[in-house]
Amino acid sequence: MRAFAYAAPATVAEAVDALVALGPGAKFLAGGTNLYDLMRLEVETPPAVVDIHRLAGFEAIDTAGATELIFGAGARMSDVADDPVVRAEYPALSESLRLAASQQLRNMATVGGNLLQRTRCGYFRGGSQYPCNKREPGSGCAARGGIDSGHAVLGVSDACIATYPGDWAVALLAFDATIDVAGPHGERSVAVAELHLEPGDTPQREHTLAADELILRIRVPVSRAGAGSTYLKIRPRESYAFALASAAAGLSLDPGGTVSDCRIALGGVATRPWRCTAAEQSLLGGRLTTDAARRAGEIAFADARPGRHNAFKIELGIRTVAEALRIAAERAAR
Amino acid sequence: MTAAAARPRVDARAKVTGAARYGTDRTPEGLAYAAMAVATVGKGRVVEIDTAAAAAVAGVRLVLTRFEASELKPPVYIMAGGHAVQSLQPLLSDHIAYRGQPIALVVADTPVAATEAANRVCARYEAAPFALELDDEDAEKLRQPEALPVPALADIAVGDAEAVFAGSEVRVDEVYDHPKQAATPMELLGCVVEWRGDTVVVHEGTQNAGALRNGLALQLGIDPADVEVISPYLGGGFGQKNSLQPHLGPVALAARRLGRPVKFVMTRPQTFHQGSFRPASRHRVRLGADGNGRLTAAIYEVDQETSRHDLFPAMYTEAMSRLYGVPNFSGPTRLVRVDTQTPGYMRAPFESPASFAFESAVDELAYAVGRDPVALRLANDTGTDPITGQPFSSRHVAECLRRGAERFGWAARDPAPGSMRADDGSLIGWGVAIGAYPACVAPAIAHVRAGADGRVVVAVDGHEMGQGIRSAITFLVADDLGIAVDRVTVDIGDTRVAPQHLTAGSWGTASALPAVHAALRELRARLGVAETGMLDVGAAVAAAGQPTVEAEAATLGPGQPPEMLDRSRAGKVAFTGPVYPGFTSFSFVAHFVEVRIEATTRRVRVPRVVSVVDCGRVASAVTAASQVRGGVVWGLGAALREASEPERRYGGFFNATMEEYVISVNADIGEIEVDFIDEPDPLLNPVGVKGLGEVALVGVVPAVTNAVFHATGQRLRRVPITIADLL
Ligand SMILES: Cc1cc2nc3c(=O)[nH]c(=O)nc-3n(C[C@H](O)[C@H](O)[C@H](O)COP(=O)(O)OP(=O)(O)OC[C@H]3O[C@@H](n4cnc5c(N)ncnc54)[C@H](O)[C@@H]3O)c2cc1C
Ligand code: SF4
Repeated sequence: MRAFAYAAPATVAEAVDALVALGPGAKFLAGGTNLYDLMRLEVETPPAVVDIHRLAGFEAIDTAGATELIFGAGARMSDVADDPVVRAEYPALSESLRLAASQQLRNMATVGGNLLQRTRCGYFRGGSQYPCNKREPGSGCAARGGIDSGHAVLGVSDACIATYPGDWAVALLAFDATIDVAGPHGERSVAVAELHLEPGDTPQREHTLAADELILRIRVPVSRAGAGSTYLKIRPRESYAFALASAAAGLSLDPGGTVSDCRIALGGVATRPWRCTAAEQSLLGGRLTTDAARRAGEIAFADARPGRHNAFKIELGIRTVAEALRIAAERAAR
Repeated sequence: MTAAAARPRVDARAKVTGAARYGTDRTPEGLAYAAMAVATVGKGRVVEIDTAAAAAVAGVRLVLTRFEASELKPPVYIMAGGHAVQSLQPLLSDHIAYRGQPIALVVADTPVAATEAANRVCARYEAAPFALELDDEDAEKLRQPEALPVPALADIAVGDAEAVFAGSEVRVDEVYDHPKQAATPMELLGCVVEWRGDTVVVHEGTQNAGALRNGLALQLGIDPADVEVISPYLGGGFGQKNSLQPHLGPVALAARRLGRPVKFVMTRPQTFHQGSFRPASRHRVRLGADGNGRLTAAIYEVDQETSRHDLFPAMYTEAMSRLYGVPNFSGPTRLVRVDTQTPGYMRAPFESPASFAFESAVDELAYAVGRDPVALRLANDTGTDPITGQPFSSRHVAECLRRGAERFGWAARDPAPGSMRADDGSLIGWGVAIGAYPACVAPAIAHVRAGADGRVVVAVDGHEMGQGIRSAITFLVADDLGIAVDRVTVDIGDTRVAPQHLTAGSWGTASALPAVHAALRELRARLGVAETGMLDVGAAVAAAGQPTVEAEAATLGPGQPPEMLDRSRAGKVAFTGPVYPGFTSFSFVAHFVEVRIEATTRRVRVPRVVSVVDCGRVASAVTAASQVRGGVVWGLGAALREASEPERRYGGFFNATMEEYVISVNADIGEIEVDFIDEPDPLLNPVGVKGLGEVALVGVVPAVTNAVFHATGQRLRRVPITIADLL
């Protein structure tokens, strides 16, 4: 780990000022479960960090509103996962957090930091011994032609096939969430759908925020599909593992059982949280049969581009979508 | 259950409160910290190494890249008659034999500075081509009997297996693949080394303090009497800590040069590249049988990896040739040299992969002849060792199978694959497999001291690696003398009190207990009291007119020559078995496993396992059951998750972190029901114990894969079975 400067301001405004004052390369530090880890691996070497995990009011959770749920960026994953309204009305959101990492990590990690966590690609995390376009633009991609069983099949480019590892952003994407951010030039809002980038030719650019923008809060519009939702995560063991494939699914059904609202987003298989609009549309206005659910999965993976060892993610992903839809429909019908 | 039934581990409280001190928990005054920089090529030569940046890190005291052979002699590999986990000693030349080989040792005032400085070491290499897997072009294949021409490693052959197989009514002929696996003990490899004058004191979690003492002395050219190795606890050994490690010599020299004690703890990723590991193996099993599934011949061929610089002997056929009464058996074994650190013994090193292959083949035979897998196994049981013609000292395989089947509810099994379903639509599969593990013994020396205060102190060969040997010894002494457990103190893992022969191969308890038992007889003789029965220790000692009365005994295994004690004192391996004059001795086990496989997404879960073990007398019920559960947990991981992935372009193991090397977590483990036959073995030793730790794992993997076959009809001949195999 390299030596770094540290600041711990008390307010949002001071935090933004501090980051600018500390100069280029300085980073916000929330729970530190991803940033410190990457600093120890020397994959990230910020000269300075601005600790935001004690900012006043930063961890507030408000799930009582009539139009939206509001989560302060500093709220802990465990607190949001256990919020009674989130659990009852938006199981997909709660499950996406509860099935992530471990209890110790969830107690430490924030829902804001979670959105910007970086890929688990072993060649990226392995450091300078491997070429990696994300870490060292232009150096190549060791994962292509290598051990790519954990890598993405959707949204990949010649430059990078790294999977977006998070679960929470996938569930947020399915529910049209928005984030509010503050920077030196004031505040703005960004749809989660507009936050993450596909790698293209610039895999080092992972999201659309400026380096000095601070996520303040996450807002999720109230929706009936929340209650009829699930986050299904398939992983190599029952806890403490990232997704091989995951699906957030939310459904509203008419009294007759016809699908009136449908949301599907994927994790573990794509280079960014992946919304499946065409698959959603294939289900609208029909009944959710086993065949229709499977077909929705197939549509979601129609453009998949497998590598050497990860082709299984296509069939697994299709089945994960189908199964998530089945669970969501059961809940929606209650 | 015996009287020992509900007694907790004697060190349970010390462990959970942190009072138990492990090797690298020590922090002597003035301690400095070491870290290692490692090679980043798969093989080759260091052309240039730049340590300026490392040396410039604040707090750095030493950066060492090379030792002279005059100050650090290369060690001899443990299986070549020496003391070390491998013969290759890093930092003696520019040769790089494998990725992850140390190229520099840094010592600093803090661990942070040492780590940072190690990261700053910069090397330029000349890279060479390397082999990492059995099939690689550069991998060198050797017939083991030619490479290692010693009687114990001759290919096992009885009868005419080829001819009988060729003429058999039913034949199974399949190939099974087992991957490389890493032992991932919680306690990392490491040491604290301190010089006190000419004496070097080593604190290191090890299963073999005797080898550290004698091996380090040879490497440094000093008297073994000037080396003290102290290892009262280790946080998991699993074979990885069975001998002298390559870090110890360099750390000892650094400590001497600095005149300060030095602590070294290897990082987890480095442990994957420097610690010994389970090598990959390929198994072709040919079984011949009659129409009822009665085995007539078995030809079991094995290829196992070893390193370029050492020959790790492969002994897969020893136990598999004794699973059943097969009259014609042959077991040609080959070694395959690849460019890694020397692989080694990892819990049930041969028997677990072997049982995966052999017991899968037996399951295939059961389906080929249409016979229930338990019934087929019972029909092939034997009381005689088919290889030597001698009787087994004890063998309760049939009882393990019957009792296990009963507890599991096996009678309700519909044999047709894919025929059993749970309410949620999951496929249910029930699988069975048996296992065997040689009952070996090593010499041991025990010393007992009884005090007028009624306390008894026992010092003996043995290492506490969590298996519960301290508890087993304590219970033996307490029960023998009829005194309370808290009156007994056990000193083990300490070269100051006994030679400390390697504790491995499940012989620890079976070696230490007889020595303690003999020393107690000697003590009673010195005290002039009856040979057995309750004893008022304090009164007896007082009556002898002394503050303490001491006794010592050295024991050998059946038929072991006395020279074995000298080997043990020299820190060398000195075990014998499983073939003794007049009998053959193995521990046995039967495992029953239920898997459930989700209908759509195909996740595999293991809600329950029933394991019944024949390990002779159970010396400590609580720790014995815990050993078996641990073995089962390992087996579930081996069957469904664990594999080290070689990176064929860059060298080394790609998934060298706890995140990516997927071991099971609590949430993966269902109910594990453990039962013991608990019949003392009448021949092996007077205490009646056989080994337990390793046999517990043998057969778990095939019980799982056989259950997966029963659930799905898919016969998977490569582990781990992952979701990708089942879609
Ligand atoms: C072993 C392990 C297993 C894990 N398993 C999972 C899993 O299964 N699923 C999953 O989703 N995640 C998993 N994680 C990742 C974990 O959820 C993230 O590390 C965590 O959510 C990040 O939050 P943090 O508060 O610790 O962020 P930090 O580590 O503090 O920061 C992460 C990044 O976000 C930036 N940042 C933080 N807060 C803000 C803000 N308010 N505004 C702007 N930028 C900000 C930081 O600068 C940094 O770049 C795992 C992590 C570990 C270590
Ligand atoms: S997949 Fe992306 S992150 Fe991984 S090595 Fe290639 S460029 Fe780097």
